[in-house]
Amino acid sequence: KEFKIAVGDGGGGTQEALGKAFISALEEKTNGEHTASLFLNGQLGSEQDTVNDAAIGTLDFSILAINNITPFSPSVGTLTLPYVILSLEDAEKVTQGPIGQELVENTVRDAGVRIIGWAYSGFRVLTNSAKPVETVEDLDGLVIRVPKNEIMIATYKSWGVNPTPMAWSETFAGLQQKVVDGQDNPYITVYAMKFDEVQKYVTNLRYLFSIEPLIVSEAVFQDMSEEEQQAVLAAGQEATEFSAQFLRDKEAEIKEELVSRGMEITDPANDEAEFISLATEAVWPQFYDSIGGVEKLNEVLTELGRDPVE
Amino acid sequence: MESVIVSILFGSFLGLLLLGAPITVALGVSSLVSFLYLGENPIKFVQIAFTSVGSFPLMALPAFILAGALMEAAGISKRLINVAESFAGPFTGGISAATVMACLFFGAISGSGPATTAAVGMLMIPAMIKRGYDRGYSSAVTASAGGLGIVIPPSIPMVIFGIAALGMSAPPEAVEKFGTFQSVSISKLFIAGFVPAFLIAGSLLVVNWFLCRKHGYTGSAEGWSARNILCELYRGFWSLMAPVVILGGIYTGFFTPTEAAIVAIFYTLFVGIVIYRELNFDSLNRSLETTTWLTGRVLLILFTATVFGRLLVENHIPALIADGMLSLTDNIYIIWALIIFFLLFVGMFMETLAAILILVPVMLPVAYSVGIDPIHFGVVMICTLGIGFQTPPLGENLFIASGISNISIENISIRALPFAAVNTIAIFVIAFFPQLSLWLPRLLGY
Amino acid sequence: MKTFWTLLNNFESYFCRILLAVFVSLLFVQIVSRELFDYSFSWIEELSVYMFVWFVFFGASYAAKKSAHNRVTFQFGMLPRSWVKWIEGFADLFWIFFNVYFVYLAYDFVFNRMNKFWKSQTLGIEMKWIYMVLPIAFALMTFRVLQVNYRVLVKGEDIHDPDKIDLDEVRQEMKQGHDDPGGRVG
Ligand code: NA
Ligand code: NA
Repeated sequence: KEFKIAVGDGGGGTQEALGKAFISALEEKTNGEHTASLFLNGQLGSEQDTVNDAAIGTLDFSILAINNITPFSPSVGTLTLPYVILSLEDAEKVTQGPIGQELVENTVRDAGVRIIGWAYSGFRVLTNSAKPVETVEDLDGLVIRVPKNEIMIATYKSWGVNPTPMAWSETFAGLQQKVVDGQDNPYITVYAMKFDEVQKYVTNLRYLFSIEPLIVSEAVFQDMSEEEQQAVLAAGQEATEFSAQFLRDKEAEIKEELVSRGMEITDPANDEAEFISLATEAVWPQFYDSIGGVEKLNEVLTELGRDPVE
Repeated sequence: MESVIVSILFGSFLGLLLLGAPITVALGVSSLVSFLYLGENPIKFVQIAFTSVGSFPLMALPAFILAGALMEAAGISKRLINVAESFAGPFTGGISAATVMACLFFGAISGSGPATTAAVGMLMIPAMIKRGYDRGYSSAVTASAGGLGIVIPPSIPMVIFGIAALGMSAPPEAVEKFGTFQSVSISKLFIAGFVPAFLIAGSLLVVNWFLCRKHGYTGSAEGWSARNILCELYRGFWSLMAPVVILGGIYTGFFTPTEAAIVAIFYTLFVGIVIYRELNFDSLNRSLETTTWLTGRVLLILFTATVFGRLLVENHIPALIADGMLSLTDNIYIIWALIIFFLLFVGMFMETLAAILILVPVMLPVAYSVGIDPIHFGVVMICTLGIGFQTPPLGENLFIASGISNISIENISIRALPFAAVNTIAIFVIAFFPQLSLWLPRLLGY
Repeated sequence: MKTFWTLLNNFESYFCRILLAVFVSLLFVQIVSRELFDYSFSWIEELSVYMFVWFVFFGASYAAKKSAHNRVTFQFGMLPRSWVKWIEGFADLFWIFFNVYFVYLAYDFVFNRMNKFWKSQTLGIEMKWIYMVLPIAFALMTFRVLQVNYRVLVKGEDIHDPDKIDLDEVRQEMKQGHDDPGGRVG
């Protein structure tokens, strides 16, 4: 059978890489009996639409940003709180360990879709065209574009900035025309979108680590034979491992290229301590209810070897 | 498999159109039938209905319709046209040339072809007749120039093209062959249409001059009045600022197209209520009402056309059409000629916005696969469909001009033929020289 | 009593005009606040988009009431008007079929299939309530299609084509105003 995989992003990014890796693994594990085709760029609808479609069983697979699953399965939101994940290793640990397993089960129960693989896109670094940003104070006076996302908006507010929500399709022009000074996105996106043409300064913020799950419709999954299910899960696992390696190789390469094109990369002062304390103190409590209680957050923090919060 | 789906989808679509079903119904029912044939669950329709319409850039559509209606009611349109008329002067074909210029001016505040024809024709057709121009000729020149309303930005068809093309990326094979394509945005389209609009206006002016010389339509005896021009410029100051606000806001990137339209609405309210004092509650209310049904009608088509397009994409049909076309020829000029003649044909029968919504999912992948830039393609598509306003059987501009001048539609459409012919030549020039469309956006840094 | 029915019969029109005026004003507030005070309201974009969707589908129902949905009609050029309205009436059966089926799908989606956690991003409203526009507006549209056909086929009314720009109206608008150098029109 030829499955359909919806992909939110265009070609060349983490999502497509995960999709391709998944397809070749799937073909290999089913001896060419099953394959799939990717529909890039939201051709099959917006990322949130694809969750509904998969839940109803009218779509087989989808690769999308994790915050587009959160509305359907709130506990996933834990991974989208600022500064929960502080490294790629953290991300691998939470998504592939027992916490990840619990999230998969919750998502099957709440949203009718099963997460079978994870793409890692890296931290959303801040870029801007005005000045190097090293401290929270440096953010003062910058107009930052964010997607229409409550958590991200709240985080910037905790740093004393009122960000401007702007549609993705308008962002490049907005940066170019200086309607907004800056935005945040993973290095891979910054590079793919050629943001270096309109932005000069990069700050290595770590407030959000972009994770892009590969989901399968639970209805479609349950219609498969035991063997097919195993093949799909194994292909997902293989694609996940591929994605982590892809990020490690790609990010280093891209940073170098961006610097050679004239971008200046800055690390936040004092190991980001001020950013972290402002954001975690102000933002986390606002979202305890929506992620299903402070316990959910503490489970993750404990798993990562950090101190739980009150 | 694909060929069966193609015949079911297009067969039932054309069948329903011929039966006189609304276009939106023909699209929706043919998609539904195909879904049921494929054994797919049509519950997808529900989500598509919501999300196809629920997008921020799309709000430019009602905003521009409302802005256009308000400008008419506020007296801004009238003053712009008066300015153009004052330039008529003692030249051969002066007043009809002023009509073309008036359409260009008016087009810079209105996004609609028929609205341009109505507003300009209402003032200029009687003025031409008064100066001894034939009624049929006066109507033909207005109906032809009315199409400029959608080529010069702002343009409602460009908004719709932008929305339809936004989610369609170039196929990977095309990217491999021609490099990455630029992304589509409504702002870019708005800027790209600027130069082609002047080219088309220029071509109409040339035909107008020859035809007027043939008919002996010389300028007015009064001559050219600098005082009159200054006077109209002074009176029209606030009106002339309207296109400056709209286009300036977009071109400098200060506003998105939607925001520019919103600002235009409030600018018009201000001018209409405070300065001209011609805008009252009744006309405001009427403008809101017109915007309501026009938007509802178009965007219902957007919903069903999106479902239709989704079926095409999921079954890889645009790729098949592109392959079929490429197997015939890969000469870009021949492909352009096929595209233009096909669009002229469709423009004879079908309403512009519906045509865009139906054809973009089919034709844009073809354009990509032969290396045509999407913005350039959009400009050519809109210019070509603009001719459809003046061609029977469905020619909105003809109907309006005929209503104003009391001359039969047949008569006007025949007299409009020379204009349609040079307009088509101008479109070929625009198609063959992409820089005419792409130079200005690049210059402005888009 | 009569005014009550008139109001009800034009429900979509009033409702849409209000929605349009409100979301256009909200967007203006957003622009002014952003440009002058560097402040953006995070909820305005989302709220105005949802109001816009309601505006669109109720507007589509209003367009159906005005018999404004575009059809291709050149093929009827030779036929007498009385035939054409029956043919179009027959074609409208497909419309009714489509709408009824869609209302069923939308009802099923909203009440049975939709994810119960799904809330809008910035307003936090359950998406269920926002999607309710679909079953409601399409049901209303179906009623309007029946209403128009009843008026045309049974009562023999000739419904004014709203696309024919009312030239008298435009003329009126062009004429009014104090500094128009009169006598130019007509
Ligand atoms: Na225009
Ligand atoms: Na036509």
